[in-house]
Amino acid sequence: MPSAIEVHHLTKQFRGVLAVNDLSFEVAAGRVTGFLGPNGSGKTTTLRMLLGLVSVTGGTATFGGRRYVDLEQPVHHVGAVLEATSFHPSRRAEDHLKMVAVGAGIPLTRVGDTLELVGLADVARRRVGKFSLGMRQRLQLATALLGDPEILILDEPANGLDPQGIQWLRTFIRHQASTGRSVLVSSHLLSEMEETVDDVVIVSEGRLVLQTTLADLATRTGTTSGMRVRSPELGRLTAALAAVPVAYRQIAPDTIAIDGASPEWLGPFVAEHRIVVYEQIQDRGSLEDVFLGLTRGFDASVPSVPSVPSVPSVPGSPGSPGSLLGGAQ
Amino acid sequence: MIAVVRAEWLKLRTTAVPWVLTGIALIINALLILVIFLSPADQSVVSSGYEVPHTTQQLRNLVGSGFQGYLLALLLGVLCITVEFRHKTATTAFLVTPRRAVFVGGKLILAAIAGAVLAVIMLVATMIAGGLTLDARGGSFTAMAHQLPAVAPGMILVFALFAILGVGVGSVLTNQVAAIIVVLGWFVILEGILVSLVHGAEKWVPSGAALAASNLTRSTGGGPGGPPGVTLGLFNWWEGGLLMLFYGLVFAAVGSVILSRRDIT
Repeated sequence: MPSAIEVHHLTKQFRGVLAVNDLSFEVAAGRVTGFLGPNGSGKTTTLRMLLGLVSVTGGTATFGGRRYVDLEQPVHHVGAVLEATSFHPSRRAEDHLKMVAVGAGIPLTRVGDTLELVGLADVARRRVGKFSLGMRQRLQLATALLGDPEILILDEPANGLDPQGIQWLRTFIRHQASTGRSVLVSSHLLSEMEETVDDVVIVSEGRLVLQTTLADLATRTGTTSGMRVRSPELGRLTAALAAVPVAYRQIAPDTIAIDGASPEWLGPFVAEHRIVVYEQIQDRGSLEDVFLGLTRGFDASVPSVPSVPSVPSVPGSPGSPGSLLGGAQ
Repeated sequence: MIAVVRAEWLKLRTTAVPWVLTGIALIINALLILVIFLSPADQSVVSSGYEVPHTTQQLRNLVGSGFQGYLLALLLGVLCITVEFRHKTATTAFLVTPRRAVFVGGKLILAAIAGAVLAVIMLVATMIAGGLTLDARGGSFTAMAHQLPAVAPGMILVFALFAILGVGVGSVLTNQVAAIIVVLGWFVILEGILVSLVHGAEKWVPSGAALAASNLTRSTGGGPGGPPGVTLGLFNWWEGGLLMLFYGLVFAAVGSVILSRRDIT
C-alpha cells in the first residue's frame, strides 16, 4: 500500500529538550491513522514539523517524498487542523476562508461549499470571536478542506467538543476516508479514536512505541485479561492458588484479581476446592489498558498503579474517563 | 505573488485596523486644516483678521496638511504583520505560504499600496475640506489645485515608504506592542535627540530621507508639514527615497531570516 506520509528518523531538540527522538512511521494512503500518545509525547511537534511550521533537527517528514514547503500550493494537497485559536476575532467566518482561498488560488465557490459541509453555512457572516469552541473547530475543518486535499492532518480535533460534537467528528473523519482521503489524527485518548481509526501510531516521550493496525492492537487485549473473585474465604483461595502457576493480587478486603485466568478454568478450580465465591467477573483488558500499558513503560512520569484493574469500559463512550493518564502531566 | 498580495488585501480590509487608522489620519488632517485657517495673520495685514492662504508656500502647506499622517502609514505597516502573531493567524498564513520570505514580501507590497492609498485618501479629503473652507473664505480653489502636482507625488511616495518600513520593523519585532513602542519612540523622541546631538545625522535618519523623498516634484527641501526636527542639508529626492527603501528592506530581510528559522508552536 502506498504511503501518504513518511516520517524517517525525525528528531526535534528544543533548547536541550528532546521533544521528538528518532521517530519513524508511515501513514498508509486512504486510511485513518490515529497518532496516539500521552500529553507532551511530541505529537503536536511532530505534526508541526510535517507542516513546516517547526524546523527539523534531524530526519525527514515528507508527503510522497516531498517536504511541505516544497509542495506546489500545499493547501491543495494537505489540509491541517491545528489549535483552535488561530483566527482573528473580528474577522467573519467566510472572510477567513476567502483569505485562504485567494492566497491558495482556490475558487471562492469552495467557501460556501465547505461551510455547508461542516454545518456553518448559517453563521458564515458572523465574526469568529463570537464562535464557540466547537464552531471554531468546524471552521478549522472547513479551512483544511478548502483546497480539497488528499491528506488531512488533525491535531487533537476532539478537544473541547461536546459528546455530539465528537460523534459528528467521528462520522466526518470516516466520511473523509471513505472518499479516498488519508487522515492522520492525533489524540491522547484512544477511546476517542478507536471507532474511527484503521491504524495506530503510538508514541511516548517522543519515541515510537508501536505502529500497527487497530485490529492487531485489539488482539493484544487478551494478554491482560483475567478474573476478579470476591469470596469470604480468600485465605483458602490464595492457599489453593499457591499450588498453581498463576499470579494474583488482592484488590479489596474480600476480592483478588487473578491474571490470565478464564471463567472456564476458575469455575472448576473453586468447585474442586469447595471454596464459596460470591462473585466472579471477567476482566477483558480494554484497548485503553493496552495503550496505557504500552505508553506507561516509556513514561517514567506516570505512576504505575497495578492494583486497580480497570472495569471494562464502554468503547468510545463520549463521557468515558477524561484523560487516559488522568492528569499525570 | 499576486495571489499572496490579494489575500493580504483581503486580510487587511476584513479587520478594523485600516479603517481606524484612516479615521485617525483624517481627524488629524482636519485639525491641521483648522490650524492653517486660524493662524494669526501676518503683522502687516493684522487688520483683516485671519489670513486666507494665497502664497505658493501657504497653498502647498494647505494641500500637504495631511502629511503628518505618515506615522499612521508606518503603524499600518507594523500592524498588518504583527497582527498575524498577536492572533496566531500566522499558523494559517504559513500553511498557505510556507516560504516565509514570500509571506513578508506579500506584506511589503500590500503595505506600500495601502500606504499610497492612505496618502491619496488624505489628499482627496484635504482638497474637499480645505478647498471648501478656502472657497468660503474667498480664496482660490484653482490656485490650491495648482499646487497638487507639487505635493501629491512626494506625499504618496513617502507614505508608501513609511508603510514598507513598518512591515520591516514588524517582521523583526513581531510583538505588536513592542513594535509600536519602538517605532513611535524612535520617530517621536529618539530621532530628534540624535539629530540634535550628532552633526550631519539629519540627512541619514529615516525622517530626513523621507523628507528628501517628499521633494519628488519640488526643487527645495522643507516641505509642507514635513517630519519635525529636519530642515536643510538633505539628500535629493531619489537618494532619500532609496535610503528610506533601503532601511525598510534591510529590516524586512533580517525579519525574513529570523522568521524562517522560527518555530511556530
